[in-house]
Amino acid sequence: MLLESVEYTRPRNLDEALRALASREGAAVLAGGQSLVNVLKNRVASVDLLVDVSRLDELRRIEVGADGGLEIGACVTYDELERSDDIRGAQPMLASAAGHIEDRQIRNRGTIGGNCCLSDPSNNLPPLLIALGATMNVQGPGGGRQVPAEDFFFGYFMPALEPGEILRSISIPPLADDAGVGYQALSVGHDSKAIVRAAAHVRGGDTIEDARVVLAVVGPRPVRHSAMEDLLNGAPASAETVERASEAIGDGDGLEPISDAHGSADYRRRVARVLARRAVYEAMMRGARS
Amino acid sequence: MSDERDPVVSDEGTAHAIEVTINGETHKRTVLARQLLVHFLRDTLGLQGTHVGCDTGSCGACSVIVDGQLIKSCMMLAPQVDGASIETVEGLAQDGELNVLQRSFNENHGLQCGYCTPGMLMAATDLLRRNPNPSEDEIRHGIRGNICRCTGYVNIVKSIKAAAEAGAGAAEEASR
Ligand SMILES: Cc1cc2nc3c(=O)[nH]c(=O)nc-3n(C[C@H](O)[C@H](O)[C@H](O)COP(=O)(O)OP(=O)(O)OC[C@H]3O[C@@H](n4cnc5c(N)ncnc54)[C@H](O)[C@@H]3O)c2cc1C
Ligand code: FES
Ligand code: FES
Repeated sequence: MLLESVEYTRPRNLDEALRALASREGAAVLAGGQSLVNVLKNRVASVDLLVDVSRLDELRRIEVGADGGLEIGACVTYDELERSDDIRGAQPMLASAAGHIEDRQIRNRGTIGGNCCLSDPSNNLPPLLIALGATMNVQGPGGGRQVPAEDFFFGYFMPALEPGEILRSISIPPLADDAGVGYQALSVGHDSKAIVRAAAHVRGGDTIEDARVVLAVVGPRPVRHSAMEDLLNGAPASAETVERASEAIGDGDGLEPISDAHGSADYRRRVARVLARRAVYEAMMRGARS
Repeated sequence: MSDERDPVVSDEGTAHAIEVTINGETHKRTVLARQLLVHFLRDTLGLQGTHVGCDTGSCGACSVIVDGQLIKSCMMLAPQVDGASIETVEGLAQDGELNVLQRSFNENHGLQCGYCTPGMLMAATDLLRRNPNPSEDEIRHGIRGNICRCTGYVNIVKSIKAAAEAGAGAAEEASR
């Protein structure tokens, strides 16, 4: 298919990219293109300038801080996440989640930043990044700002980015020695689109602390379930605790999933509780093992 | 890479002078930003081995290898490959002879209509480079992005396995 007329530029650095992006209203950031190129084919957005940031060195680094925290450039690909020793060491669940996105071709092109900036509620990485307590480092014409991951996914295809802003990198704090992460999805097929996702983080050994429970594909944005978190924090780390805490989700009142060919809204609400329970249990087990 | 110069702007968007190496041969062309890589290969260069199936990044028929990485050429724009080295299905045969992988598809009935085959062969080439002796599971994982509507995959998996056993994997690994 021939796309609508469009201009393309490949800036040499982030400053140039920011300038190109600010130069007109119809400018858009092109990262891996694994969603944006389809958007262009569908002609649903009026983009007249593509600012290709996918090869910018500044956006392609993975840095490990002295404390074990990570700073991952927005244009690091899924394949690079999966293969990076630094990521496998510090955040094994992130490496594994990236390695199960769709297929090899998409993993070679798709980027962590694009996965977030699309703000598609069914995408793999956003709920996990919220559970990991990540921070999004955003760069705009007037300077940088930081947005907690849980505030970044604003709604369907709406990241918390102002016009002219670029996601530069994502910072992830180190996992505590007694921390564990769980990630569960009910998918249409192997490594494919999810019907519901749940990601969890817990720590604390015998008593649960710092519980983060994130549900996704059950509304316009991934959400933390604070009622379930409250029941987990301070309780003994046991299967019964997890079971009891998951009852806070009940039949998913308050969640706003869509109905589609893969599952009704009602089904998604019910599955949310099951997956949240499994994700927290998985996190607890992994924490206990480490 | 081509000399740094400003793209030409018209009501068709920007046009870019690019230089790419395809199956070892260098091509210099001017491409519109609105042209997908797959159409650059098929329409501009006449390399019609690379197929278009879905045009949405879902089927893998358009898979080629760009700078050592398997990608779907309907999901990249032509100006993005400036300076790149691309491998397409036309580059597999050597001196007019099918290579081990292609022969294996032929011998093991790894194709019926053949529409998916160019993409399948490129995905298998990529897989064998990374993993010269893949298990059945690893083969299925490696061709996850390539849809075949005819064979049910059984003979495709068999073809790739047989090719690996016949040394295609070792040869691909050595060629990296
Ligand atoms: C067949 C198919 C199946 C898929 N299945 C899945 C799946 O199961 N799970 C999943 O998670 N994804 C899936 N994807 C989507 C894929 O993961 C995309 O790679 C991802 O959604 C977008 O990342 P990208 O790097 O390709 O970004 P692009 O497509 O280049 O960009 C996506 C959007 O984000 C903006 N953007 C990108 N980077 C930045 C940045 N640094 N700063 C500001 N804005 C930015 C762009 O302007 C655009 O609006 C699938 C894609 C295809 C084609
Ligand atoms: S034509 Fe490119 S993936 Fe189907
Ligand atoms: S042989 Fe017909 S689609 Fe695969």
